[in-house]
Amino acid sequence: MNLEKQKWYDKPVSKFILIMIALSWMLPYIGFVISSFRPGDSVKRVSWWSSIANGEFFSEATLANYSEILFAENLSRSFLNSFAVSIPSTIIPITIAAFAAYAFAFIDFKGKEIAFLFVVGMMIIPLQMSLIPLLKLMKGGAILFGIPIIPELNLNGTFVAVWFAHTGFGLPLATFLLRDFMMGLPRSVVESAKIDGASHLVTFFKLVLPLSVAGIAAFATFQFLWVYNDFLVANVFMGIKPENLVVTSHVAQLTVGNYGEAWHLRTSGAVISMVVPLIVFFSLQRFFVRGLIGGAVKG
Amino acid sequence: MNNNKLSDKLLVNGIRLLALGFFPLIWFLFQAILFRELTEILPRSILVLLAILIGSSFIFLLYFGMNWLIGFAPKISQEGLFAGMFIGPALFMLSLFLFYPAIRTLYLSLQDRYGREYVGFENYMWAFTDSEMKIIIRNQILWLIFVVSSVIILGLVVGWLADKLKRGESFFKSIIFMPMAISAVGSSAIFKFIYEYRPPPLTQIGLINGLRVSTGEDINGKECGNNIITETGEKIDYIREGCLKPIGWLQQRDLSALPSFRNIDNSDSILSFIVNLPISTFLLMIVMVWMFTGFAMVVFSAAIKAIPSEIIEAGQIDGAGEGKIFFSIVLPYIKSTIIVVATYMTVSVLKAFDIVYVTTRGDLETNLLAVKMLDEFSKFRHYGRSATVAVLIFICVIPVIVLNAIKAREETQS
Repeated sequence: MNLEKQKWYDKPVSKFILIMIALSWMLPYIGFVISSFRPGDSVKRVSWWSSIANGEFFSEATLANYSEILFAENLSRSFLNSFAVSIPSTIIPITIAAFAAYAFAFIDFKGKEIAFLFVVGMMIIPLQMSLIPLLKLMKGGAILFGIPIIPELNLNGTFVAVWFAHTGFGLPLATFLLRDFMMGLPRSVVESAKIDGASHLVTFFKLVLPLSVAGIAAFATFQFLWVYNDFLVANVFMGIKPENLVVTSHVAQLTVGNYGEAWHLRTSGAVISMVVPLIVFFSLQRFFVRGLIGGAVKG
Repeated sequence: MNNNKLSDKLLVNGIRLLALGFFPLIWFLFQAILFRELTEILPRSILVLLAILIGSSFIFLLYFGMNWLIGFAPKISQEGLFAGMFIGPALFMLSLFLFYPAIRTLYLSLQDRYGREYVGFENYMWAFTDSEMKIIIRNQILWLIFVVSSVIILGLVVGWLADKLKRGESFFKSIIFMPMAISAVGSSAIFKFIYEYRPPPLTQIGLINGLRVSTGEDINGKECGNNIITETGEKIDYIREGCLKPIGWLQQRDLSALPSFRNIDNSDSILSFIVNLPISTFLLMIVMVWMFTGFAMVVFSAAIKAIPSEIIEAGQIDGAGEGKIFFSIVLPYIKSTIIVVATYMTVSVLKAFDIVYVTTRGDLETNLLAVKMLDEFSKFRHYGRSATVAVLIFICVIPVIVLNAIKAREETQS
């Protein structure tokens, strides 16, 4: 082995390739973010790169687009809606999944294998498969063999509909991942708690839940970003009434709709929508990646 | 004694029905109706605050309530009830919000297009013969081939190169991974801005058209430009003979708008194949590749790091070059990881919705199955057809997931 010989990847050319890749991945954001700080008429009049080249950008940069989109266009309301959708949509499925995972990992009961197979089997169902009947269920209720299980509720456009839609879609994976995680915990700890007379509920809250924080955090980060960034479910269940929009559907409406060439609003709106995911991503990167890799097996 | 046993049994079953059946249902209905009413009367900001607080804590009430009810049962039979309490809500929600709707969709797909009466496989016939559906299926196949393979190849290259960086590895990876954190809607908006087209003589603000019109010279040898007024007051623009015209990239079915393809010989099969490439579809695929390469990179780079360094060193001692090490050691070693990424990408592409919906709304031959499914539902009220498209997505997903599950199982057993 001759160590003196420079490896090909240490050569400037491969570094150059990497830098070029990084730049080309950054380039799409750059023009977009720059345009979000430019007045609407300049965005249309001069391209963003020319405005940088001739220095116009530095004199005209403004936050006016942001205040316009947040307050005049009411993106702030959509922003609040997004939180009201995504926080419970993260907590509800995780709680239910954690309880179920505890039972799968630590309680012996009849039909455990079948129940687990059912839960895991649900992972192959793409959400498109249940979207429309679920929407009808939230609106008109569910009737099974002539017996109304759920009455007519008219839940469309309420937060509850979105929470439980996301709960259904997120549960199989959450249960699967958390069960895996809890199976890794020492069984003896749980058994000794049982001998000491602790109930399942106490063992769950005082012992298993604290020990599973890492697994829960991984899935929670993943689920939160998934729900916050989701457009399809929000669009279907919350609808397009202005007061019901979430950030993604609001930005989608700006981008697709008849706003003509309101690129100063499209850019600033989209940039605002990206702030929360990026904060979550950079502060919880490790958890997010772990949750994402776990999620690679979902249907 | 016997009597006692019977009444005990009745009590346990009564409590089971109450705790695991009625209570969760009442809990759900109460929460649903409460929020429906609150939505009507409360101002948005208070509603949001209440939604976050109640929505996140109400779920615990469900379990505490069940626990309280189970407390009334005889101690000896509580273990089984507790199992039901822990597992019940998960099964209940999955059945009601996922399984039951999926079965309904299957059933709905066999009804006529408006979902009124049973017609058998008529919708499926439509799905494979309708001219728009044919294009959608073609697009979906193109997306599968191009996006899945590009993400895997780019992810491998970037993951492999980044792994060798001495400094800045995590910074570099963060840049590539960032699009994965933001929404597909945001990413689509970003790329729509890059592909933006404005009819001449307006200034081109999209990067691609802007660069396009700024290059070259007109027939008099004067520079073309993107509507710039120079310091001498001279206007440089592209609305002159010889300057390149901007192209509405997302409105192009094929490449025939490009001047170099304008007068080609149709008998040349390779050229006519290239001309007929659906350029707008490819440009939309790039958005997805941009978004998911980071995911592939992270997964691959973790797998590459897990390769024992002795194996690679042994290869180096035997005099294998970097390329040889990559192809005959690294690639075989991470084969199962590549399959996982391929599965994930296949499923993601089949469910891809946001990109097409936000950029072109599925018009001009860019549509995909997931968008069509929603269109049939919300635009045309064709519940039956919409369900059929959903079932098609489902059928494509099943083999991928099942194969992957079998593989994962083999690995855990061996």
